[in-house]
Amino acid sequence: MNACCETPAFVPPAPRPSSGPLKTVALIGPPNSGKSTLFNRLTGLRQKVANYPGVTVEQRMGVMAGVGRDDLTLIDLPGIYSLTPYSEDARVSIDVLKGKMPGTPKPDAVILVLDSLHLTRQLMLAAPVLEVGLPTLVLLNMTDLMEQRGGHIDSLKLARELGAPVAQISATHGTGIDAVPLFLHQQTNRNAPTPLALPVMGNAASTHSWAAQVSRKTGYQAPLSVEGTRKIDNILLHPIWGPLLFLVVVVGVFEVVFSIGQPLSDGFGDILARMGEFVRPLLPAGWLQSLVLDGAWKGISSVLVFLPQILLLFLFIGVLEDTGYLARAALIADRVMRTTGLNGKAFIPLLSAYACAVPAIMATRTIENKRDRMATILVTPFMTCSARLPVYMLLIAAFIPNIMYLHGFLGLRTIVMLGLYLAGFIGAMTTAWLLKSSILKSSETPFILELPQYRMPTLRSLGMRLMDRANVFLRQAGTVILSVTLALWVLAHLPVVHVGGNAYAAPELADSVIGRLGHFIEPAIAPLGFNWKIGIGLLSSVLAREVMVSTMGTLYGADPATQAMHLQTALHHDMTLGGALALMIFFAFAMQCTSTMAVVRRETNSWKWPAIQFLYMLFLAWGAAFVVNHAVMAIFG
Amino acid sequence: MSMVPKHLNPGVCESDHYGRILKYDHNGRSFGLHLSKRPVGVRQVSMLSELKIGQTAVLVALELPESVQNHLMHMGFVPDALVTALRRAPAGDPTVFAIDGMEIALRHETAEAIRIRPATPDDLIPHFESVQDEVPELIEVMR
Repeated sequence: MNACCETPAFVPPAPRPSSGPLKTVALIGPPNSGKSTLFNRLTGLRQKVANYPGVTVEQRMGVMAGVGRDDLTLIDLPGIYSLTPYSEDARVSIDVLKGKMPGTPKPDAVILVLDSLHLTRQLMLAAPVLEVGLPTLVLLNMTDLMEQRGGHIDSLKLARELGAPVAQISATHGTGIDAVPLFLHQQTNRNAPTPLALPVMGNAASTHSWAAQVSRKTGYQAPLSVEGTRKIDNILLHPIWGPLLFLVVVVGVFEVVFSIGQPLSDGFGDILARMGEFVRPLLPAGWLQSLVLDGAWKGISSVLVFLPQILLLFLFIGVLEDTGYLARAALIADRVMRTTGLNGKAFIPLLSAYACAVPAIMATRTIENKRDRMATILVTPFMTCSARLPVYMLLIAAFIPNIMYLHGFLGLRTIVMLGLYLAGFIGAMTTAWLLKSSILKSSETPFILELPQYRMPTLRSLGMRLMDRANVFLRQAGTVILSVTLALWVLAHLPVVHVGGNAYAAPELADSVIGRLGHFIEPAIAPLGFNWKIGIGLLSSVLAREVMVSTMGTLYGADPATQAMHLQTALHHDMTLGGALALMIFFAFAMQCTSTMAVVRRETNSWKWPAIQFLYMLFLAWGAAFVVNHAVMAIFG
Repeated sequence: MSMVPKHLNPGVCESDHYGRILKYDHNGRSFGLHLSKRPVGVRQVSMLSELKIGQTAVLVALELPESVQNHLMHMGFVPDALVTALRRAPAGDPTVFAIDGMEIALRHETAEAIRIRPATPDDLIPHFESVQDEVPELIEVMR
């Protein structure tokens, strides 16, 4: 053992007898120990997700309704390997366990989940957790799998070694969970926790030797490694087949999002619009009807329509993650991603961003390195999300002639569309490279990727994941969307015009606050070839990009759904080719999406990053649009 | 190589089977059954990045920043652990290593900072610290 391996000892607080009844229980375990599955099982769906104050660590709490203890709160601590306070996750865990985390009650008991397939290594977390001195229940997860594969553990002996009750469970199948209510019942009726006599843990190596000793004394036999996993990897990580299958998966994600997700989203949008029309006669005509339906409902629906696509995407990613393929995808993509300074784990978020940046940014949680994660979050909005498509389609249909090349195999319109996708991709990669070679340069954390064994995903865990993500999406993005929509509606309807008697009416759009704003910013956007109406469109599309289409529709007196041709003609009259192309490239780069800004603010825990991101992308969009407009004018006159 | 029983082929990490691949030889003593002193699998290797696919070596030290080292140790990269290079990613980097019954991928630059030594037959057989109670049993088994 050389001196470099000495790490500062983690000094636990002296065990305190818990006073009063049991109220809060903490759930802790290493990554991949099946902790989330167990959490979902113990709490049912009554969960609350938030961030711990001041950090980007997710705080997840729920009532233990799954085991009939509605009176108890379960705190899910982040998945960690140790309590050594190097990572933010570990620091948060220590603070919560010690009751030092503001806003989080001090836990009265701890449930520690360990993966019995790799118990020796997992026991390294048991030592520091038991040292905290709270009453602890140790759950050995996946014992069914372990025994199937010829593994063995004497849980009674282990309980004696650890000085804590030990139970064998399978969180996936729900076997052995009875131990939890039993343990909780015991804790409620007993005040003093069992005193623990554990060796003082110094560094990782000594903890490991302790863990190895414990697992040996308790007759632990690790299960045989599944040869199946290595055989599958022989194909999936094959020098030739591996990348090919990887491409199939990538194309598969696109296919799912566009061919299945798009019609679903469109259908869902129709239903939402019909629901609005159904309610319309129920409300008195006038400002209230307009506020509720044209303001709030329209704004909320514009976000809700993405829900089917987002859920589909998460189902897809969930299957990949639960089977274990995602780690392999990260391994394959690492070589390409590192040229930009990002690592392989950034690949899946960037891929998801082709559907929507909001779930993509939520998916960056798998990147442990905070700087890499930040860089990924910052470049994600460049990827061509599905909300840009309506805008691109409208402008391409209006301005790009339908010329076919290569005997009808490749159209000019397709080329323009692909060019826009490419522009976004290049924007993302260049920005990543700029960030990683300047402010987000990371020296410390290397790329360490654990390749889990392949597993069959369960419907239950996939369903839970979807519910969870839908919840977060609706709550976080929905509140922001609602308030901005209402603000926009108010701006479009003020100042009210006196039309005689007691009658007041909304002003003409050009005279409204937002209309004047459009005129106000016209000098800034005139060099790009945009007029004041486009200006209003740009302002309103800050809410969400696709709002541009409906705003243009309103402005040009045409309904975008039924009279698309009219809108195209109107646009054709009102804009030059240079302005139209500039507008497309503006949309490729600008961060016009409040949901994304809200989710970036949530994930980075500050308004600083979304603000920087918005300004940077605006600057880039303006510059690119300026260049495009002038270049096209110079070429085509 | 020939002295090692076939089931102890260094290409397969034995930790999978026994769950205890580490030798805690704090007194400088080893309790292995000395089959041979000849290095097996790996000969003149000093860094993990130089380990050839299919070869097994013994981890000696991590020359990395403390936080990284701590993370890696909790993933099983502790001194004296047996590590096997399993495969390279299709692009040639990172490399997947089998250690402590897990498969972990590391980039070349990280593997370059991990010092290893050749594995001897001793290393490939499970060892025990304070084995007073288990030595006769073990010898029995080996016979």
